[in-house]
Amino acid sequence: MLRRTGIFLVSLALASILVFAFMTVLPGDPAQVALGVNAEPEAVARLQERFGTDRPLPVRYVDWVSGLLTADFGVSYVTQAAIGPQIVDRFLVTLWLVATATALALLLAVPVGVVAAVRHQRPTGAALSGLSQVGIAVPSFLAGMLLIALFAVHWRLLPAGGWTPPVEDPGRFVRGLILPAVSLGIVQAAVLTRYVRSAVLDVLREDYLRTARAKGMGPYLALIRHGLRNAALPVVTVLGLQLATLLIGAVVVERVFVLPGLGSLLLDGVANRDLLLVQGVVMVLVLAVLVVNYVVDVLYVVIDPRLRRGT
Amino acid sequence: MSAAESAALSEPAAGDAESVARRRRLNPNLIIGALLVGLVVVLALVSFVWTPYDPTHVDAEARLAGYTADHWLGTDKFGRDVLSQLMVGARTTLFVGVVAVGVAALLGTPLGMLAGMASSGWVRELIMRGSDLLLAFPALLLAIMFGAVFGASTLTAMIAIGIATVPTFARIARSRTLQVMQTEYVMAARAAGRSRRAIAWRHVLPNIAGLLIVQASVSFAIAVLAEAALSFLGFGTAPPTPSWGRMLQEAQELLAVAPRLALWPGLGIAVAVLGFNLLGDGLRDRFDPQLDDRR
Amino acid sequence: MARAFRLLATVLSLLLLVTACGAGQTADPGNDAAPASGQGGQSTAGGESQSLTVGFAAEPANLDFTTTDGAAIPEALLVNVYEGLVKIGQDGEIEPLLAESFQVSDDRLTYDFMLQPDVTFHNGDAFTAEDVKFSIERVQSDAWTVSLKQAMDVVESVEAVSPTHARVTLKRPSNRWLYQMTTRIGAMFSPDGVDDLANTPVGTGPYMLDEWVRGDRIVFERYPEYWGDPPALETVTLRYFNDATALNNALLSGGIDVIGTVQAPEALAQFEDDRFQIIEGTTNGEVVLSFNNGRPPLDDPRVRQAITLAIDHEAVLETAWAGRGVLIGSMVPPHDPWYEDLTGVYEHDPERARALLAEAGAQDITLAFRIPNLPYAVSAAQVVKSQLEEVGVTANIDVLEFPARWLEVVFTNANYDMSIIAHVEPRDIVTFGDPDYYWRYDNPDVQRLLEEADRADDATRDEKMKEVARTIAEEAAADWLFLLPNLIVATTDVQGLPENRVGEAFDLTELSRS
Repeated sequence: MLRRTGIFLVSLALASILVFAFMTVLPGDPAQVALGVNAEPEAVARLQERFGTDRPLPVRYVDWVSGLLTADFGVSYVTQAAIGPQIVDRFLVTLWLVATATALALLLAVPVGVVAAVRHQRPTGAALSGLSQVGIAVPSFLAGMLLIALFAVHWRLLPAGGWTPPVEDPGRFVRGLILPAVSLGIVQAAVLTRYVRSAVLDVLREDYLRTARAKGMGPYLALIRHGLRNAALPVVTVLGLQLATLLIGAVVVERVFVLPGLGSLLLDGVANRDLLLVQGVVMVLVLAVLVVNYVVDVLYVVIDPRLRRGT
Repeated sequence: MSAAESAALSEPAAGDAESVARRRRLNPNLIIGALLVGLVVVLALVSFVWTPYDPTHVDAEARLAGYTADHWLGTDKFGRDVLSQLMVGARTTLFVGVVAVGVAALLGTPLGMLAGMASSGWVRELIMRGSDLLLAFPALLLAIMFGAVFGASTLTAMIAIGIATVPTFARIARSRTLQVMQTEYVMAARAAGRSRRAIAWRHVLPNIAGLLIVQASVSFAIAVLAEAALSFLGFGTAPPTPSWGRMLQEAQELLAVAPRLALWPGLGIAVAVLGFNLLGDGLRDRFDPQLDDRR
Repeated sequence: MARAFRLLATVLSLLLLVTACGAGQTADPGNDAAPASGQGGQSTAGGESQSLTVGFAAEPANLDFTTTDGAAIPEALLVNVYEGLVKIGQDGEIEPLLAESFQVSDDRLTYDFMLQPDVTFHNGDAFTAEDVKFSIERVQSDAWTVSLKQAMDVVESVEAVSPTHARVTLKRPSNRWLYQMTTRIGAMFSPDGVDDLANTPVGTGPYMLDEWVRGDRIVFERYPEYWGDPPALETVTLRYFNDATALNNALLSGGIDVIGTVQAPEALAQFEDDRFQIIEGTTNGEVVLSFNNGRPPLDDPRVRQAITLAIDHEAVLETAWAGRGVLIGSMVPPHDPWYEDLTGVYEHDPERARALLAEAGAQDITLAFRIPNLPYAVSAAQVVKSQLEEVGVTANIDVLEFPARWLEVVFTNANYDMSIIAHVEPRDIVTFGDPDYYWRYDNPDVQRLLEEADRADDATRDEKMKEVARTIAEEAAADWLFLLPNLIVATTDVQGLPENRVGEAFDLTELSRS
């Protein structure tokens, strides 16, 4: 366990160096972009001094990382506002979207995946399995575009985009979240269905389940009584990792539905050469994956004692 | 997309439950997958010798034509022929997959084999921890960062996707290599004093190739989706090179006026992704997932 | 299994077709004849007719135009939150604003501004001649960093004669200076209100900032102590959409009431029913096909002229911007006083283009066509490239990220042969007098004429400016593809929308709802 924690911390440190290094090779000077056309060299130099981008790289790195350790992401070059709160705001938007989409995906994927596994030798199983393949093949933004065209523009049932915080107006918040969550959730559901299916297929082949069925228990009942927990473990692992990578994967849907999420913040930051902001967002995204990986690792050790001896 | 990507990491063989006898028969996944992929390949190949029009030729007179005898699939807002663009776009799609998968496989496979065969624990650790670290940078994030640094282009985007996929190949190569190294014939070869390199070439690579091909097919599908997403965000294929992702992006503003412009590239992407995924599944069923110990 | 798959594939492709057709129906104007609920239900911005939501494409990076460049900041703040001494009218004439009246001395060096009494800033401070002095001198100081501040260099001194009388003395006569006072550099600030310009603008305008949700919207609220006629609307919300289609969809689905600047004119057909009104006027946005006059092969006027001749401008406008907008033959929009129609200088003539290229020995040339990743530029570039191919000119399109990469490569380093960008600053024809500007156009005659025009009286100025416009058109210092239209779509109940975008601001002060 200690070793895993060590690996996690070293990875974190290396990731921060990688992220920082990336920003230094990014072409385009933030001061130049802020000042725009015809900026005088002296003005650019003055602004570089104010941003601190004229200092040596190691100094800037140490400065940034020591800020991060106290949850201080620094002040944006462009908006001149603190970056931390901005990231938190945007993170919440994305988290709502991703969490809702994932919940939706689970609701769809678990029953469909189970049925597809139990009836895997019959047409229904094959059809459901094929459906999930098709679901994966449709880009989420295409799904979003079509949903908008139908539900927002044509029938005018739901807003075409935009974000309302839940505290401000819960009704509008929910209405605004439906279409983006569905476009993201469909693809996720398709992917998850395939995991659920193969996890359940594995379980179905276990002896205890065969015994239960031999005693005359129906396949679904047997699954629910004996198999679901075993099938759940790999699915939950995948789910965790999906959540972490979806934080950035949601950017396309955020763009289609004009949601002020983390991905949009990243794209805007890149366009404005708001280096500290970009660094901060990338770091948060990378951190999310590392943390989830770490938690999954630790959980595995806790759940499965055999792993304690191994590594 | 990133969801599908993690799917590719560890999804067990879809056909595990089927009996070996079933597996040996021609399976529908393989056939349908091969047909769909074949369709894309044929479109791309034909486009080298013939397209109805120059796909980048702008014809202001023929803007937004519907399905006509002159333009079978109509024209876009520039008056460019949609069918021609679709055909040349198939080329871009295949290029995208080849580059991304090529980068991932050429870097990931040797690294994974090394991690599975190296005697030095230090080397093994370094490779696997490095690949874990790389996993922390999701493909889309890496592509956006690469696009910002090197400028948006198909190649930049695909190299980024390829690099992000390296850990996938490394992991698969490693775990299979570990298995192969335990087999009797490798043991025998080692006892006979065969060099590590010879063992890698003669025994390990042929045995892990099947799974790698399966993974390549699945990764191909992911790369196609990634290119579409990146083109949509403006970090993918740059105009005027026709690409299905960019055709979709250009069609977006006209969705209400000319939905057919979104239909065809959308269908193209779906066919390619479905084709490669099914092909991967089919191949997985073909290549016995249990280690073949006959050698 | 195979049969199941086939069935599935059929069902799915049908589904795709059905949804696509469903989407297509919205293009049919008759289909939506019965508007949904009342117009009240359409406005999501509070639901009352006292408020209005306007959608825009580009969000300001911050709210401080003194240190941050970009058109989105003055677009939102000028006239609405910040006011200047003078403003620009719909016909392009300079009108008094915070100055009740002004007088220019005979030597054209001294300007006497008589200020409106009873004007207060949003922080409660009274607006006096001291603030005029403070604001103008602040532009000259290091506090302002954007390059536009150079326009204030001509000011010798500012004097507060009395609280309502400010006198500005220039170093040399310049009619351009007064015009520049209508832009952002003429905005009046309070000494107590400049601490946090990036987030808290303090002006004298009819609207004050209520809320700014980054990445989403800016909310303005009526300033109760406004000195002039109060605006009809209590609150105006500006919402930002980084995607042209999302902007259109927001209006179609009732999320906003007005599209401030249509970014996807191709899709305007969706709005052609009785729920919406479409306003089309002019802007200052010349979409310029810029040439690098400073390096071969485009340093040869014949090659530039040939390119101009090879381009069918009607077709460019038609394909790139759906035919909306007007053709201009030079760097002058129709609402400027010295406008004349120069579109006939080089009419589309590929034959002559080929002949000119042959004469210049420039057949089969290849050009680095480096464009920003902006919708109009990407669209127009593909048309231009295709048309140039017909006369044997190869233009290699290279799309650069805007602003960061494009500014660096094309604008600052002039490492390009051709580019496309909309020059949106008002009266930016003067850039042709700057040999270091990115088109590297160095013509002493043009420089002299511009200098003389600046010092001259209005009539003489117009004559000289016409000559400049004609010279750069004949020399093909650049090619003017078209003028971006002021394209606004709004629900029919919105009134007071500006027909032309003559200044930098989107004027919200006249808006009302019926």
